[in-house]
Amino acid sequence: MDKRYYGEFGGQYVSESLMNTLDVLTEEFEKAIKDPEFIKQYDYYLKEYVGRENPLYFAEKLSAKYGTKIYLKREDLNHTGAHKINNVIGQALLAKRMGKTKLIAETGAGQHGVATATVAALFGMECTVFMGAEDMERQKLNVFRMELLGAKVQSVTSGSATLKDATNEAIRTWAEKAEDTFYIIGSAVGPYPYPKMVKEFQKVISVEARRQILEKEGRLPDAVVACVGGGSNSIGMFAEFIADESVRLVGAEAGGLGVETGKHAAAMALGKTGILHGMKTYLLQDEDGNIELAHSISAGLDYPGVGPEHAYLRDSGRVEYVSVTDKEAMDALVELSRMEGIIPAIESAHAMAQVFKMTKNMSEDQIIVMCLSGRGDKDMMTVQKYFNGEETNK
Amino acid sequence: MNRIEKKMAELQEAGKKAFITYTTAGLPDLDTTKKIVYAQEKAGIDVIELGIPFSDPVADGPVIQTASYKAIQNGTTLRKVFDTMSEIRETGCEVPIVFMMYYNTVYHYGIEAFVSKCIACGVDGLIIPDLPFEEQKELQTALNAQEHAPILIQLVAPVSKQRIPMILEHARGFVYCVSQMGVTGKGANFHKDLKEYLASVKAVSQIPVMMGFGIRTAADVLPVKDEIDGAIVGSHFLKLLEENNYSTDAVTEYVTTFQKELNA
Repeated sequence: MDKRYYGEFGGQYVSESLMNTLDVLTEEFEKAIKDPEFIKQYDYYLKEYVGRENPLYFAEKLSAKYGTKIYLKREDLNHTGAHKINNVIGQALLAKRMGKTKLIAETGAGQHGVATATVAALFGMECTVFMGAEDMERQKLNVFRMELLGAKVQSVTSGSATLKDATNEAIRTWAEKAEDTFYIIGSAVGPYPYPKMVKEFQKVISVEARRQILEKEGRLPDAVVACVGGGSNSIGMFAEFIADESVRLVGAEAGGLGVETGKHAAAMALGKTGILHGMKTYLLQDEDGNIELAHSISAGLDYPGVGPEHAYLRDSGRVEYVSVTDKEAMDALVELSRMEGIIPAIESAHAMAQVFKMTKNMSEDQIIVMCLSGRGDKDMMTVQKYFNGEETNK
Repeated sequence: MNRIEKKMAELQEAGKKAFITYTTAGLPDLDTTKKIVYAQEKAGIDVIELGIPFSDPVADGPVIQTASYKAIQNGTTLRKVFDTMSEIRETGCEVPIVFMMYYNTVYHYGIEAFVSKCIACGVDGLIIPDLPFEEQKELQTALNAQEHAPILIQLVAPVSKQRIPMILEHARGFVYCVSQMGVTGKGANFHKDLKEYLASVKAVSQIPVMMGFGIRTAADVLPVKDEIDGAIVGSHFLKLLEENNYSTDAVTEYVTTFQKELNA
């Protein structure tokens, strides 16, 4: 079997100029994760810098109200406020090991950009973050955070000037400068070995969560839920549970204004396969095969594709993918804030909304574990606009 | 016989180098694209690359990105370019034409249907920069299954090195040597080891070796003239077209001059 593929998805759809780079990267990555010294370093930074392990929190009031035990994996308590940093630490350590001195990254909302700028500062590496001009306008505060951390934020004006175009520009720059530059992809997307690397460096979420739930409940959960944009927190949350056949795995895509309106980011709801950003996967595309813009109130889920392993897990039936609308997510955001005193990122609120839906058919002694992928501070402007009835996206 | 292979054989016979241009189809409209093709044929161009616009052209620099974006805005689609191709061939135009496109456009159309349509419309070759050798099997199988299918042109890069023999083993038409790392249209800042790299390709290639990316005039390639069998101009040609308001006279002048200097 071709290790570069997940069923029919994945691969390395990049220019010839990058093929050697990917070969070397694959080899170095495989060596690194078998090297105890590398793992020791990675674990060290996750503990001392990121603040792991984070809690698996029993949401007592929500559990009582919804009649099912709800546990939240608190990735929002990580340094920089989301799961993104787990992966950036791993990839940046690999970059250092490979002798690269410069990091580049793409970012939509700015969370992965901030995480990359943070780790670049920590390791003393030069950092350029590509960000769509539209997104820079919408996420001014994150642009400032990245600059404060010493990164250069490169405005991308081509195409739709959003995440997919920022990714295109990062790929172009990487093809030119791969000799001294490492491209840190933030989601479970891109050409092989990126989807595998991101999973490897995010699986800590489920390694901890699985152990924690066994300690607290003495058994595996009935269901595990996470939100899916490109799919980094969800692949990390599902990883250790995939082999546990009794555990139902559910991914919540961004349904935007509703899949039927065409304004959404639910690449898997329509199931049209295509090729973008180095991978074959499910994509939003028009009748000519041009990539369509995604829509979601959550910038982090606003991506027209999905990681190839998710595409495979969908087709194999191991994971169910559903879509959650902007409104459902915002209602869940308020509910979690008021009931538990936790303001989630809008991305994570999609997973919360899905959890509430699932509790309707579950009993009091059943257990759901949800990945609370990030905190909501970054979203306060959007939330405010939403409740004032203003337009929040495009 | 495939028009590209026929042309390459003729050039080899005459001891001449090939000149190839790239134009984004549908810029500013498909009628103009046809006129530009005819003008180039008359001026004696050897091969024409027609770019099929795609929303996310990752191998291209700003000039071709903008051109693609505009062409899509103008309503240019693969289906319409196929119609234009048929019209071009119906007038008796026999210049070799290669589609430069991204793989999603092919994949979305349906691979087998795409190959059949290329044959029906007289497309001679395909350049797909995001389809490296390892990912070509699906398309190559479909191409091999039909007679008169277009040739999938192989690209090599300055860092391809040990990959070159594998890439060239079954390559046909010509091999496209990318002159620098990164994207199209960055000017003549060629790779530092350009000459050695081209020579290494030339040494193992059974087919003509073309150089592309960043070339503006014949003078840009003269230092490596002995290592190549021809040159490809894209971004610069598009700029020239725009600056001259798509005048066919400017096209004729540019093609004629480049060819003369290349073969001087």
